[in-house]
Amino acid sequence: MALMKREEWEHLVREVDWTLSYVDQDAVFPEWQSGTGRVPLEAWRAWEESYKISYPQYVSVQRDKEAAAFAVKAALQRSAVFDALEEGWKSCAKLHFGFVSLAEYAAFLAEARMARFGLAGAWRNMAVLGALDEIRHCQLSLFFAHEFVSKDPQYDWAQRAFHTNDWAVIAGRSFFDHMMAAGNVVDTAIQLPLVFETGFTNLQFVGLASDALASGDINFANMISSIQTDEARHAQQGGPTLEILMRHDSARAQWIVDKTFWLSARMFAILTGPALDYYTPLAHRRQSYKEFMEEWVITQFVRTLEDYGLSKPWYWDEFIEGLDLWHHALHLGVWFWRPTVWWNPQAGASEAERKWLSKKYPKWEELYGALWEQIMGNIKNGDERSTLPETLPWLCNMCQLPQCSYALSPDGNYRVQDFPLVYDNRTYHFCSKVCRQIWSEDRDMLHVRTLGERLIAGEIQPANFPGILKYMGLDEPRASGAPSEASRGKPIVTGTNSIPINSRFGTDFVTHLVMIAPEDTMAEVAKKVAHHSVGKRLAPEARSMRVYYEGRPVAADATVTQVGIAPLQHVFVDYMRD
Amino acid sequence: MKDAVGPVLRMCDDLEFVIRAIQEDNPPESLEVVDHGAYVRVQRSGLLRLTRASLQRHLGADFEISQLESIIAAFSGRIRTSSDEVVWNLQTAGASAPEGGTP
Repeated sequence: MALMKREEWEHLVREVDWTLSYVDQDAVFPEWQSGTGRVPLEAWRAWEESYKISYPQYVSVQRDKEAAAFAVKAALQRSAVFDALEEGWKSCAKLHFGFVSLAEYAAFLAEARMARFGLAGAWRNMAVLGALDEIRHCQLSLFFAHEFVSKDPQYDWAQRAFHTNDWAVIAGRSFFDHMMAAGNVVDTAIQLPLVFETGFTNLQFVGLASDALASGDINFANMISSIQTDEARHAQQGGPTLEILMRHDSARAQWIVDKTFWLSARMFAILTGPALDYYTPLAHRRQSYKEFMEEWVITQFVRTLEDYGLSKPWYWDEFIEGLDLWHHALHLGVWFWRPTVWWNPQAGASEAERKWLSKKYPKWEELYGALWEQIMGNIKNGDERSTLPETLPWLCNMCQLPQCSYALSPDGNYRVQDFPLVYDNRTYHFCSKVCRQIWSEDRDMLHVRTLGERLIAGEIQPANFPGILKYMGLDEPRASGAPSEASRGKPIVTGTNSIPINSRFGTDFVTHLVMIAPEDTMAEVAKKVAHHSVGKRLAPEARSMRVYYEGRPVAADATVTQVGIAPLQHVFVDYMRD
Repeated sequence: MKDAVGPVLRMCDDLEFVIRAIQEDNPPESLEVVDHGAYVRVQRSGLLRLTRASLQRHLGADFEISQLESIIAAFSGRIRTSSDEVVWNLQTAGASAPEGGTP
């Protein structure tokens, strides 16, 4: 007997809404979850998925996908493929497993919320399939990583990462919570399926798959591209939701897209950028991170956004400029703070690699070459101590990543900038104007404190580097691949009188948390700030230093009290010019 | 290619056959096939169509559109699926896209 075509019967199962009479609409679809806002309720009846599939079809297709993924895994399990993989590639995989596995579970919760509170039956149906997809992704990632735990305990971070307070995990968790859990489901549908899944996840799940295949990790390549076939379907919840929102409240749609696009770009700069441009062995790199971004985000995704009637985000030029900057700085930071991550970051700055980087990023040598030069000089001189951190970088209150984006200064140098904001008598610091603006709009639902804030508040004890590693779950000897030299016990936060400042030296690529004392002279403050940059990433110079506070130079013999430097304020130190 | 739309196919046994089916459903000279190893982009300006009929000629008489899902890792443009075909397009194809943004 011939089966009916899906089109002939599907209206019976996808349009399952009815008019509520025993209870109020708001009792079933409360506004804080369903989030219709200015969109009239009846408008949601027009919600129509563009990628249609019935439940029996879903089950059949998913069964085939699972069978294929596991067949490859089983075939390779007996081979020596894993042992032949290069360390750099393994770092890509470990970074991925730790960062992504449980984020998939958070995505399940987001899908489940849309499946319950979405204002159209068809949408709720599609979200049910999305929720099942995300459970699959979480389980696949955990299971595939687990196979390697006995060979390399860092793979255990697929399971562990999100249960720790590692700084990179705090950044990921804060971002995913903001995108997947904090908003109502209309916001979620645009943030998660539309911007994050349609726009950005392809970079990691399809882009990285091509590097994985080139590096010989067939199993990983197969797993992540299998996952992405689910995403290509359930990400289509974004389009119909956006279409309806654009008709009734386009300003809201534009804002949600803009902020999620920015935060996604920040997150992928640390997740995918270093993996593609530094960890993947040079011979196996198919394209640079920037080229992948141009292919997937700038050409493909932005054209789709325009098709829905959206404009480019207001910060477009800054985002484009960031493609040459962000991930190089984040990579350098991850490498320098390598005791704080669960993978073994490769420096990726050999002569051949630097040549490749300069070809792909013409400004690379000018901006980052000298910093690596100093680091490699220290290594060659047997001074590994100077290549390890003694304090925390200052973390942005919005994206939770280090403040490390260069921008062209009026004096012609590229310098990191600080973007502060005073709110409720407290100073917050941001990596960029855009992060500051997003935080300012959304501050009521953002309660994640940075690692630095926790340290200053005395929550991390002992307040030294070993204490921080313990707080981040990295105190087990084999958890981190970093040298033991990192576990020096010098306190970072000292005494109740000491004043934590956001400090920046010269043209160094990152700002630091530094403690100063009320009686310190500016000469002493300069020395404390310089300690974390000079000789570590900047070559020492035989010139005096000067402290700048609130944009003005201050006298070398003035004390902190006399100058009035308050806690959490920004202090800049540089060599004096002739 | 301006207004490129179409699927991004993942590495799999059936890849060549799907590409052949796409070539039958669209003027072959208007198609661009870009091989990236783990994925292959098949694209056309403005509109790309893939029918069940041509898929069945290459992949067997019982091949259903829904089975395509396990091969499509991503796509450019917007998608519309039915039991008989998949279509990728852009509604504003050919028109000049809006420039700039809101402050």
